[in-house]
Amino acid sequence: MKNLFKVAETREEHNNQMHNIGRIFTLITLGLILLVPILFCLEAKVTPDWSLFLKTLPAIVGAYFIVGFVEAISYAPLLGTGGQYLSFITGNISNLKLPCAINAQNITKCQQGSEEQEIITTISIAVSSIVTTVIILIGLIPLALLQESIVEAVKPVSPYVIPAIFGGLLVALMAKYMKMTAIPFVICILISVITNILGSGLNQSVMVIVGMVISGIYTFVMYKLKKI
Amino acid sequence: MPQSLVSVWIIGAVIVVAVLAMSIAFLIKAIKRGKAIGMSKDIIMQAVKSSAIFSIVPSIPIVIGVGILMTFVGMAISWIRLSVIGALQYEIYAQQIVFSEGGAADNQMVLIATALTLMTVGIISGPIFNAIFYKKYQNTLATLQEKNEKAMNAVTGALMGGMLAGMTSAIVVNAFFALGDPKTDAAGITTFGEVTLIAWAASVVIMALCGVLLKFGKQKWIENYALPLAMVGSMAIAYACTGLFA
Repeated sequence: MKNLFKVAETREEHNNQMHNIGRIFTLITLGLILLVPILFCLEAKVTPDWSLFLKTLPAIVGAYFIVGFVEAISYAPLLGTGGQYLSFITGNISNLKLPCAINAQNITKCQQGSEEQEIITTISIAVSSIVTTVIILIGLIPLALLQESIVEAVKPVSPYVIPAIFGGLLVALMAKYMKMTAIPFVICILISVITNILGSGLNQSVMVIVGMVISGIYTFVMYKLKKI
Repeated sequence: MPQSLVSVWIIGAVIVVAVLAMSIAFLIKAIKRGKAIGMSKDIIMQAVKSSAIFSIVPSIPIVIGVGILMTFVGMAISWIRLSVIGALQYEIYAQQIVFSEGGAADNQMVLIATALTLMTVGIISGPIFNAIFYKKYQNTLATLQEKNEKAMNAVTGALMGGMLAGMTSAIVVNAFFALGDPKTDAAGITTFGEVTLIAWAASVVIMALCGVLLKFGKQKWIENYALPLAMVGSMAIAYACTGLFA
């Protein structure tokens, strides 16, 4: 354990230490998360309704379990080693951790693909995780005291946080990415329009993955054609 | 609201300590490595400060999510579920399908136990991937990066731009198609297309104004606060507008 916190001499050594720390904490936290339903059942002296569980499981596996794998693969190049382990424990990736890291990268003007960028990303996601965890903890106090009244007062504005983040982020990053993603952007808008016309617009988490896949393929093709 | 059990509060506290310990461990490692490769203290502090300020506003809806979910499963479970991977829409979806399929045959504690088990199992694929496959996957990415740095940097930049493109098109187009047709989700939250577009546009305008102040007004201080200002300003405008459409 002591070796894990020794200052690494090379990027590779640092990366290996990050993987080791990440794996240890992921396994510990996963174990603790799995303990929650077990402890609940033991204290409440109940067992889950297994037939109901099996009946509802396919809907969850289809909607979230598979998406979880796809997200872990597609976000990996953006989050860096530390950021990836932390983000997939603390959640809220596309609506908080990733925009927060992009904002920090933008402000500190670090170079794409550099070690500095990975370090800034890890710092940003770690700080963001701490702040969010503490705010939720503090938020329990008014929730316990005022219960529904505080929720009712602030609930109407909660769907507008993501537009509020991504409007500003678009302006901050437009110059940096627009040239490369102008065509993928048009394709994403067309997909959104078509799916809405067909009756069911794709939600934000799905469109993020769709956008990343289209943009990644487009850039790779352009690179092979020596257009970039 | 269902009562929260003592053991769930205790395991919740242990999970929060683990999450904080994990975050602090990565933070210390990253800062030490940053200093070792010659990054300045100012740059590191800028990253810490901007990330802390940025994270405040988007954390508030998560607290509201705890308040909504706790009416169905109690405060302790709601707190745990939204402090670790997951999101309100996912937890509410799992809770709703269990409660609606379960009916009167099961008592409330059995329904909560079933929903909690479903929520827990359904969301663990990301951490499982990381624990088993991520190191190998990342080594493959690193090898590709070494072999062809220019291509990998281009693709990574494209992924970032693609995320922005996907999210923006979903926000704007879905809001446009929801004009005059507000949608209420399973958590009872109503979204107005008009307010979504107003919030997004207000954020664009405020951020652009900050950019003008930074570039032409030489107001360097605004760099760290531009995005939080755009968020808070556009949320305030959205809050004022929800009353107009409700």
